[in-house]
Amino acid sequence: MKSTADVYRLSRQSKVVLSFTSAIALAGFAWPFFYAGNLHWIFVVAIAASAFLLVSEIGIGSIDAKSIALLGVMSAFITLLRPLGAGAAGLEPIWFALIIAARVFGPSWGFLLGVTSMTTSALLTGGVGPWLAYQVFAAGWIGLLAGALPHKFGGRLIRGSTEKALLIVFGIFASFAFGILMDLQFWPWVLGSNTQLSYIPGGELSENLSRFTTFHFASSMAWDIPRAILTSTLIVLTATPFLRALRRTYFKAAFLTPIEFRSALHNKS
Amino acid sequence: MGCVCMITFNNVSLIYPHSLQTVFEDLSFTIEEGEMVLVIGATGSGKSSLLRLINGLVPHHTGGILAGDITVDGISTSLTKPGGLAHLIGIVGQNPAHGFVTDTVEEELVFGMEALNFAPDVMRKRVEEILDLLSLAQLRSRSIATLSGGEQQRVAIGSALVMHPKVLVLDEPTSALDPIAAEEVLSILHRLVHDLGLTVVISEHKLERVIGFADRIIAISAEGKAEIDIPEEILKKSPIAPPIVHLARALNLDSVGTSVREVRRMTTHLRDFTPLVAQSESATGESVVEIEKISHIYGEKLALREVSLNFKSGEITAVMGRNGAGKSTLFKSIVGFHKATGGKIRILGQDPTELKGRQRLSTIGFIPQEPSDLLIHSSVSKECAASDHDNALEEGSTFAFLTRMTPTVNPEAHPRDLSEGQRLSLVLALILCSAPDVLVMDEPTRGLDYQAKSLLVDTLVSYSRNLGKCVLIATHDVELVAEVADRVVFLADGDVVADGPTLDVLLSSPAFAPQVAKVMSPAPWLTVTDALRGIAEATGKDLPS
Repeated sequence: MKSTADVYRLSRQSKVVLSFTSAIALAGFAWPFFYAGNLHWIFVVAIAASAFLLVSEIGIGSIDAKSIALLGVMSAFITLLRPLGAGAAGLEPIWFALIIAARVFGPSWGFLLGVTSMTTSALLTGGVGPWLAYQVFAAGWIGLLAGALPHKFGGRLIRGSTEKALLIVFGIFASFAFGILMDLQFWPWVLGSNTQLSYIPGGELSENLSRFTTFHFASSMAWDIPRAILTSTLIVLTATPFLRALRRTYFKAAFLTPIEFRSALHNKS
Repeated sequence: MGCVCMITFNNVSLIYPHSLQTVFEDLSFTIEEGEMVLVIGATGSGKSSLLRLINGLVPHHTGGILAGDITVDGISTSLTKPGGLAHLIGIVGQNPAHGFVTDTVEEELVFGMEALNFAPDVMRKRVEEILDLLSLAQLRSRSIATLSGGEQQRVAIGSALVMHPKVLVLDEPTSALDPIAAEEVLSILHRLVHDLGLTVVISEHKLERVIGFADRIIAISAEGKAEIDIPEEILKKSPIAPPIVHLARALNLDSVGTSVREVRRMTTHLRDFTPLVAQSESATGESVVEIEKISHIYGEKLALREVSLNFKSGEITAVMGRNGAGKSTLFKSIVGFHKATGGKIRILGQDPTELKGRQRLSTIGFIPQEPSDLLIHSSVSKECAASDHDNALEEGSTFAFLTRMTPTVNPEAHPRDLSEGQRLSLVLALILCSAPDVLVMDEPTRGLDYQAKSLLVDTLVSYSRNLGKCVLIATHDVELVAEVADRVVFLADGDVVADGPTLDVLLSSPAFAPQVAKVMSPAPWLTVTDALRGIAEATGKDLPS
């Protein structure tokens, strides 16, 4: 039976491209632990190219008008939220909105929202640079995972305070994960080569890991903790009305609603 | 088959998802090329659904069951998605601001063509053509946000026309506009139909505005049946009709007219006697609102100039005047949203800017232009419960008040899903249940159909007469003023130009006279009821009803 379009879902082909480009991006984050040379600039180019490839693949696939409209409105909303945070000390009031919206509209759409909102908000805050492609992937993954959080547990719908708690836990996880990922793309080249925390090209995995951990704790825990606190506070404050408003939107947008064409009303043939 | 049918509905029935009711049953009609067809029906009867069926948004975007067959220019909407009809059908909504995607007029006109990959030279030519056609040339580089409502609606029509559609569908295009802007939009549409042979399908509930332009009317009844015919035939029996049609019916004229001129010609025999001069009674209540020489200045602009007025209890006063005449500024000062630059306002002896909490709720009730701005909860019952709590009323009293006005409202519905009329009733219930001494309403009839309007009239009249409260309304709607107001204050450029009993003020200027008064002039009757009573008194016999 025919129906209206579903909220955006990645096609099989898009999933392949997403996995492939994500693998490149992941390698771009993690290479310092496994490779002796300096791959930094190669990955800056490779990740930007992957982001481009991914977006064009999704653009070629069919996104329904309603999903695009929702994506546009939510990206604009998040873009406006971003300058409200100081941009410093991890006070980024965008994650709660990305997480809550992705929760309602699902992983594929959540991934897209992470990508578009990170890109457009970078234009507004002047944060365009080699790090943008890394940020785009990180935000996309956070949207993807938030959208993939379970909706049922033991046969019962996760709603109300359980859902809020789940989102808070995820918000804290996402705040720290984003911090670690951003440090990873930063660490190999920011310190120069001769400090105690510097990356050692080709060094022992354990040595590099311990140096990175110390670096991360020394430099950016001061960002991760405020980020996690702000994100979870905003989720506590806004989740109930925000989820309600978005679920109402989801219902009103009539995704996947059956359509039937008949020749006449009464003879059902 | 020799017919120049542009739109054909063949035994069309529609059922929405999550619903068992059919919106329409077995609708069949054809609309010819170059016709202007008006769709009328009560709120919720399916006017918008009918318009959206034409370009396939229903059911392609909403889901549901569509029986029968709809074709536009030979293309079946069940086989083609709305995107495939984009070049053929232009659609314009109620609030143009909701549809704009760019900042300036020129960019907005180009946007649709860019999306469909038109060649640059074609785009340039078409933009020029539309700028001329809709007289937008002076506005081409203006920011859309700075345009007036009528100009914005013209831009919206322009951005639909630039795609050279064969059909233009407009869903209540003038309901958010003041009468002058509405006139501007409708006369442009009239010209498009005549000059370009465009097919126009339009829905509208202020019939007195559009009736003269329509070639035919589709009337949708509450049972989902539809009729299509010329205006004179439809209006003979339609419950939705402008005041002159009600007048013609009440007077048992042989046919109904659609313009003041026609009805005036038909009623010469009823005007050949000298009517009794009506006595205008003035309210005898005590002063509730006392305004002494208030002035207000915004930056350089003087919005109110030493205005002194006095409003009494048990009196309904309409404040009229052009946009920017100072109506809203006056109301904001009365409600206490701002302190006027000069002069003083007292409501029952108190300064409105100093009223707080419950005392405020029981003194001033204010309903803004967009009543839903007052609605913050997720269901009707929650709104009502919050109001009971705020006003320290017994549980359920607000809801009881609401059901007295509209018995059918669903307490679990989301306030934004209610019809305009139901939403206004809800807001009225929230405000009136605390029985404020002064009720202030800014443009209450925007977007209301006749039924909702008569509900509003009844509520206001009983509130003012039975409870002896003071009611102030800012409005452009002359017909509403004729029905409810005891007194009219006319503002222009921050000055009071006229202030007096409704009859005197409305009859003194032909531009502001309601339709019935224009037909019956020089007899001083404003409404159908006035006219019937007046004729009966003057001739000494009752007209058969």
